[in-house]
Amino acid sequence: MNIDPRKFISINGIDRRDFLLRGSGLVSAAFLAACNSRGPKAADKLLKYAERKNLVIERKLLRHTSMDVVQAGAHDAGNKLPSYFISRTVPVWDESVRGKWALEVSGLVGNPVRLTIEELQQLPQVSNRVNHYCVEGWTAVETWTGVPFTELARLVRADPQAHYVDFQSFDDDYHESWDIESAMHKQTVVAYGLDGKVLQPAHGAPARVYSPVKLGYKNTKYLTKIVFMPKENGGYWSDEGYEWYGGT
Amino acid sequence: MIRKRHHWIVRTTHWVNVVTIIIMVSSGLRIFNAYPAFARKGEMFCCYPFEHKPIPDWLTFGGWLGGARHWHFAMMWVLVVNGLVYLTFIYLHGEWRDLVPRKDDIRDSLQMVKFYTFRRKDHPHQGKHNALQKTAYFLLPVFGALAVLTGIAIWKPVELAPLTAVFGGYVWARYWHFIAMLAIVILSVVHVFMVFAVDPYSMTSMITGNYDPSLSPEARNARPFYHLFPRRARAAAAPPPPAAT
Repeated sequence: MNIDPRKFISINGIDRRDFLLRGSGLVSAAFLAACNSRGPKAADKLLKYAERKNLVIERKLLRHTSMDVVQAGAHDAGNKLPSYFISRTVPVWDESVRGKWALEVSGLVGNPVRLTIEELQQLPQVSNRVNHYCVEGWTAVETWTGVPFTELARLVRADPQAHYVDFQSFDDDYHESWDIESAMHKQTVVAYGLDGKVLQPAHGAPARVYSPVKLGYKNTKYLTKIVFMPKENGGYWSDEGYEWYGGT
Repeated sequence: MIRKRHHWIVRTTHWVNVVTIIIMVSSGLRIFNAYPAFARKGEMFCCYPFEHKPIPDWLTFGGWLGGARHWHFAMMWVLVVNGLVYLTFIYLHGEWRDLVPRKDDIRDSLQMVKFYTFRRKDHPHQGKHNALQKTAYFLLPVFGALAVLTGIAIWKPVELAPLTAVFGGYVWARYWHFIAMLAIVILSVVHVFMVFAVDPYSMTSMITGNYDPSLSPEARNARPFYHLFPRRARAAAAPPPPAAT
């Protein structure tokens, strides 16, 4: 009997050398594909599932009693706070074109209102020295001056069915919707002042929402509308694929 | 004589951990690259020499910041559950006795270092693991726990502020998170190197569970790349090559 040893160890026509060659090729191809990739498409469903589960946990973790506290000795970010860098032109409200700016608070409310900046400034005012948590991982310390969101909700007599609230801007279609619990946190303000000065266009003038319980991208600048809603309607960065909740 | 060395739960959690750690580290580095620095805006940070220098792309996973965050926040649960299964098992099954630090460990570790650096001829006597291995396998879950806790601290710096404060606030918690990752990476790289350089036979034991004690590093008196093959295999006559056809 004359057995070719090469045949003897081959399975389905692949001998050991082929197997090693093909195997190492596959492994290195897999590694190269994995580098800086988004991962397999099949994982998207699992990632979405995990995001939904995380959302449930994060909403349960939210407490109106847990406050953001700035560490002793932390410096104010001052002009190191990144100003508007998403678009090339800083959005500015042009009164000669759009008329006088006013903030509309509406939706599922008993008393919808339109507030000019002066009217906004006459409402109860707070100044919070808090952290700004960016999705990128940096933080900054600033003092935000404005109306607590809870005061606005009381003023417009928000409906108990309004479980979500949308913060809309005049910066194209930028908006971010929030869960009402985060909006009703004591440190959530509709801010018109930053570090003791009038809010500048680079940071969202005339008014913006600001809360340390949300990551930076949830805090809509250049506010025009606050809408109380029964359901969330996503948001600019949320629709781009960042998580909708974005809580801290 | 073949012995069962690793229970199937240890083997499964080990390989799940391999995948999980690779994804957690690489997606974490992708997140880090969105702002590869540690200082708050408007402040300086003392202790990181590569502030604002991004990690090379090929070490990252997730493609972009949002994608990497989704991977990181999904795989963190696999890491935690897998780690708890492993720790619970070794606690209930008694394997923790092979890993828990004992008072002779420092002396034994020094002996291992002496042996590896040729200042001692014979391999120190050991149990399941040598003293250096024990230290590494004990430290890995410790740094794993640190990575998880600091991770939670920077995930929820407001809602879980007391935890964040334990690590010195957000900036330092993020720093500790990085240190824990670095420790895990260093331990893993050395571990993989030693598997191939000293005890490749342990690879089988982590796959099938079987281990031949006569091939152990102690039996072979093996240092990195020394005595990789057992004496008796070298003594045995090689089978004749097959005749050409």
